[in-house]
Amino acid sequence: MSVSQEHDIPASGVTGLAGIAAREATQQTPRGRRVRRFSADLSAVGEPALWAFGGALALGIILIAGFLAMIAWNGFATFWPKPVERVELTSGEVLAGVPTRGGPYRPGAAVLDQLDAETRAAIAANDGFAHRTLYQTANFDLYGDDFRWVSDFEVAGITRPDDFFYIERQQWGVFIGRIVGLEVDGAAVEITPDRLAREHRAARQRFAAIRGLERGDIGRINALIERERLAIRRAEIRLGEESPEAQASIAESQARIAELQAEFETLQARASAIRAEDRTTRITLEEVNGRQVETEFSQIVRFFPANTLSLTEKIGIYLSRWWEFVSAEPREANTQGGVLPAIFGTVAMTLLMVVFVAPFGVITALYLREYAKQGRLTSIIRISVNNLAGVPSIVYGVFGLGFFAYAMGGTIDQVFFPEALPNPTFGKGGILWASLTLALLTVPVVIVATEEALSAVPRSMREGSLACGASKWQTIRYIVLPKAMPGIMTGMILAMARGAGEVAPLMLVGVVKLAPALPVDGIAPFIHLDRSFMHLGFHIFDVGFQSRNSEAGIPMVFVTTVLLLTLIITMNASAIYIRNRLKRKYASGEF
Amino acid sequence: MATAQTTAQTTPPRSDGIEPTVYHPREGGQGSALDIRNFNLWYGETQALHDTTIDVQKGLVTALIGPSGCGKSTLLRSLNRMNDLVDGLRVSGEVKVDGFDIYGPGVDVIALRKRMGMVFQKPNPFAMSIYDNVTYPLRVDGITKKSILDDTVERALRAAALWDEARDRLYTSALGMSGGQQQRLCIARAVASDPEVLLMDEPCSALDPIATAKIENLIADLRGQYSIVIVTHSMSQAARVSDNTAFMYLGRIIEYGATDTVFTTPKVARTNDYVTGRFG
Repeated sequence: MSVSQEHDIPASGVTGLAGIAAREATQQTPRGRRVRRFSADLSAVGEPALWAFGGALALGIILIAGFLAMIAWNGFATFWPKPVERVELTSGEVLAGVPTRGGPYRPGAAVLDQLDAETRAAIAANDGFAHRTLYQTANFDLYGDDFRWVSDFEVAGITRPDDFFYIERQQWGVFIGRIVGLEVDGAAVEITPDRLAREHRAARQRFAAIRGLERGDIGRINALIERERLAIRRAEIRLGEESPEAQASIAESQARIAELQAEFETLQARASAIRAEDRTTRITLEEVNGRQVETEFSQIVRFFPANTLSLTEKIGIYLSRWWEFVSAEPREANTQGGVLPAIFGTVAMTLLMVVFVAPFGVITALYLREYAKQGRLTSIIRISVNNLAGVPSIVYGVFGLGFFAYAMGGTIDQVFFPEALPNPTFGKGGILWASLTLALLTVPVVIVATEEALSAVPRSMREGSLACGASKWQTIRYIVLPKAMPGIMTGMILAMARGAGEVAPLMLVGVVKLAPALPVDGIAPFIHLDRSFMHLGFHIFDVGFQSRNSEAGIPMVFVTTVLLLTLIITMNASAIYIRNRLKRKYASGEF
Repeated sequence: MATAQTTAQTTPPRSDGIEPTVYHPREGGQGSALDIRNFNLWYGETQALHDTTIDVQKGLVTALIGPSGCGKSTLLRSLNRMNDLVDGLRVSGEVKVDGFDIYGPGVDVIALRKRMGMVFQKPNPFAMSIYDNVTYPLRVDGITKKSILDDTVERALRAAALWDEARDRLYTSALGMSGGQQQRLCIARAVASDPEVLLMDEPCSALDPIATAKIENLIADLRGQYSIVIVTHSMSQAARVSDNTAFMYLGRIIEYGATDTVFTTPKVARTNDYVTGRFG
């Protein structure tokens, strides 16, 4: 635009431009007008807004990155073995523990009064603050507590003795102290690292054998016996207690129970034998003040001399703890051990949810978009679906419990499992009802995404297909659905992400803090959808805020969070990978 | 439509308000492929076609010309009932193929569309291989025999003058072809089910001159095998490829006659105005 044209802009035009014109006019020189390369007032240029937008984006990224970094740092540091310190206090008391965290605090007047003048002055000089450290003293069975705060002014001396072990036990949590006695086959033997390692390996094998017998074989026989008992009950209900058919069936079942009982006895005897042998290998532990604890060696999960570890050994312990975390069952009220049941529950529940939500959401969207006559009714339905996405999830939990578990499950129990009543089979929370509840919760996401994907399929494609003599269904099946598939997958991914991260409704419809049996096992019919399950999200809540010892749970909260995030990211990433492959297949379809 | 109202107000309508179609088509000698009689069509309250009556000669190329919004595409899409997809559509009158009315009761629309191949403005190949695109009309019929499909692909691609270019890439995606090739692929797809009539809705409007020339040659080749109805905005194209031309204006067929007559000595003044570029 030349300057002369700018003069033609009427005064009623944009004031900013008129202002430019006016300013240009004042810069006339006898030799001609100077044309300014850039001139506009601040409200007309985008730069300040750009800075604001960029700043907002940067802030968001920093928040997310900081959050992830904190989770990752705490989560990944948890399993790293830390040194054990022996702390002598000025009071003459001695304690041993792992320093976990520390910080300034303001000692109360009662504490200050007991201190000498010098320390008091130092604290006063520091605005009344003193530093303290939290030690994991462990030995819950002896002390009744796992943690202890130690103020710096109480400390007389800190050493890191080489003979202190960090010992993770099957029960009572961690023990910190020395190993003072090892008894093999009833006779005391000399304690050497090699001998300890060898005996420990053997002891753990016995432990695994006992557990395998009790959980696996004996558990299976128990389940079978229970099934026969239910069969007796069913025969009584269906055929009448006195009828000859019922009597025959009952007799048959009782014979089978007797067989199973015999088998049970054999297994039990075998387990007892191993246990008796196990009892002869014992270990004596001594805490820092000399109090001793004696236990079977097999009860020790892992032990290491915390202060003399080489880097390789530390890495080994770190990896073995991670492996235990993802492959074992929890112990010590979920604050130790692994989370395998929770991982399994989360994945199984999410996949089951997708199985329910995918066909339901896609079919609904197909009907709404492709078949239903567009009008007031369809728009009301659409608005309602969108609103469903905004209902608080706990409401879904209540609905799931009331409708799925009690109403539907109760009916199923009465019709199919009357013999088990009054114990509910399906009439309580379970993985089936939990996935159905979450499917209900996420179905609006799938419907909305699918509808958008369907409406984005160009009309020319449908017409091309119809003109070829394809029916409407064939057009949808061969042309529209494949083309819309990436969009539908996006909806699935969003639904999965939402469903896997949801906890509140699950607490009502089937998640428990400890589920001894997985929903899938080796006992026919192998998949038990009526069972309660564990969930990583609920596990975080339970470990961090519901356990007897929340201090012990804090590291597990971070580790479990890392795991949950990893799991959700993995599931989403694989779904995105599938979607992108589909997308590439149908790329450049329009021009 | 504003023009229509102005016309109606300023010039008093003749008798029933409808100009009679001036009718002088060239005869194909094989009778008519499509017989459109007093056909009216409404989109809701708006009447888009007024009493159109023409009969499309078998084996010849019939061009529909006229200014934008005159109802050419509507008429074309009525012939294989593609307009059925529009809400609030009403029709009266009849369109006869081999003596039966395609808007009559109990007509199988799917069977009808198989007898009427259609090519659209923009090439719309499916996101499949070239082979699958061409065999799509057969596969929706449930034909899976490989030999039949193979034969059809070769026949249809040869008919669409695409065989030499596509024979080595039959199983690659059709979306990788150029625009002109895609449009010829769509023509191949339209002739794959061996229809009687080919409906072409401005098939060259999205193509460059060279691709356009190829399609026009192709139309000349297909003439005789199929009865072709082509809607076009380009009068020179209509003059080059068609035997008969129908000039439409405001939903009416003003003149329907042999192409050379329509373009050199039209019998209606308005046709003359349009083909000489005085309006439109």
